[in-house]
Amino acid sequence: MSMILYHGEPNGPSLAVLAALGESGLTVECRHIDLVGGERHRLPGVREALARDMGVEGEGPVLLADGEAMTESVFIAQFLDESGAGTLQPKDAYAHWQMLMWCRRITERCAPAAAFLGCKATAHAALAKLDQAAFDALAQTIASEDLRGRWAAVRAGDFPEAQTADSVTKVSDAVAMVDDQLADGREWLMGDLTIADFETYGWLVGMAALLPNAFAGKARAAAWMERVRARPSVQAALARAATPNPEANWAPGPEINRWG
Amino acid sequence: MAEVTLYHWEPNANSGKPMLALMEKGVKFSSHYIDMLNFDQHKPEYLAINPQGTIPAMTHGSRVLVESTAIMEYVNEEFDGPALMPADAQARWRIRWWMKFMDQWLAPSFSMFGWKFFVGPNALAAHGQDKIEEQISRIPLPERQLAWRKAVFGLFSEAEMAESGRRIGVGIKMLEDELGKREWLASDEYSLADVNGFNLAYAMPLSQPHLANDELTPNIMRWLRAIYRRPATRECWKLGRTPMASRVEILEQDYIPPRDESEGIASGVR
Repeated sequence: MSMILYHGEPNGPSLAVLAALGESGLTVECRHIDLVGGERHRLPGVREALARDMGVEGEGPVLLADGEAMTESVFIAQFLDESGAGTLQPKDAYAHWQMLMWCRRITERCAPAAAFLGCKATAHAALAKLDQAAFDALAQTIASEDLRGRWAAVRAGDFPEAQTADSVTKVSDAVAMVDDQLADGREWLMGDLTIADFETYGWLVGMAALLPNAFAGKARAAAWMERVRARPSVQAALARAATPNPEANWAPGPEINRWG
Repeated sequence: MAEVTLYHWEPNANSGKPMLALMEKGVKFSSHYIDMLNFDQHKPEYLAINPQGTIPAMTHGSRVLVESTAIMEYVNEEFDGPALMPADAQARWRIRWWMKFMDQWLAPSFSMFGWKFFVGPNALAAHGQDKIEEQISRIPLPERQLAWRKAVFGLFSEAEMAESGRRIGVGIKMLEDELGKREWLASDEYSLADVNGFNLAYAMPLSQPHLANDELTPNIMRWLRAIYRRPATRECWKLGRTPMASRVEILEQDYIPPRDESEGIASGVR
């Protein structure tokens, strides 16, 4: 199978998938793309673009496998794990359910909030600098109408106060959830190292600088973040950074739940 | 072997997913019907099992599981019986992708239309406004009270309904195209994606007659009828107690012509 992993700066879902790739032992060509420059929507050799175009995750990494664009970081990580070393998912069905539930709490509640706050802090300035014609040309390549809307909102600086406050709460809740989970002295979130560690770390690592209060007094979460960061797979992922501060790189992510 | 109990509402949407998965696997389980419109899910006896008050929930011995798609994955992995996930890793990825897309992007839009035109009016007819108001006022979280009022009384904004309508149109087109590529949704074998998708889509020829019918979406109709013919599906839909479940009988018709959008609303079967 021919595979190319297109990833942004090692942050968020791109970091999670790069780390999972490192743990899988697979050799896959990795290509760095500029997510906030819209490069994800102009990839060469995409025969089957549906998952890239309509994925819920927004500007996450794309694993191009035999021409099919595979997206959603948790599911790419599962695919890499199942195609490779198979060490990142519990074998017991109930423990596996717990890992999937954890990942859903992160992708459904924490990820939209982190992407919202990250885009407010960094991507907004990058997109606001573009002149209208350049932005329109970029937006035209985005197939999904609602994802295009999230890009336009980031460029316009449309970050309503209520959503900002709600996003701070959701990220803070995720940090507290990590800290509580580690209360029994376990090393990793599920006991053994799993995809949940990388998915959670990817979305939280860039929040430490933006929301220091969320991390204050959370010593177990802080020590866990250091452990994740020290993994050779994470170090190898971070070595792919094109900027000195990869965790400050954001692009429009998942939408905030329409039902509240 | 530890006993399995499923707490569910109608064979439809989230409740129907683990019901049908258990039946396809041939797992014996105790069916515990939760009358959602009687707010059974907020009663102390149910909250003792699932403190979140969400439906469905499943117990397996001392284990308690929630979230319909995740329960289905557990059912498939834990029990013997036919595999509902294929051996090919890329096909498994595609199934997970479609389930997330349906759960998070498409189903909430169907749900908004379902509540506005079908579930909400039926709930009011069955229980009356005063009783429903009283039961909503007993829900502890104010934002959940608000969400329930919005759903039961159909208080969605025009913009919300328009966006949901757009997504339903886009999603049906995507399903039709995808089912033109393979026999089943996202893989060559019957899988959890089909169980999930059927629960979302079985009533579309009634509720979206202008978008889903034998002229416009022959692949979807072939797929729905194939799933409806399965013995597990027949058994599963027998557990329905309201007119909602009987909507599935539309799939006994060999040919469903396009109808006007208003007929979906006028027939009162949304």
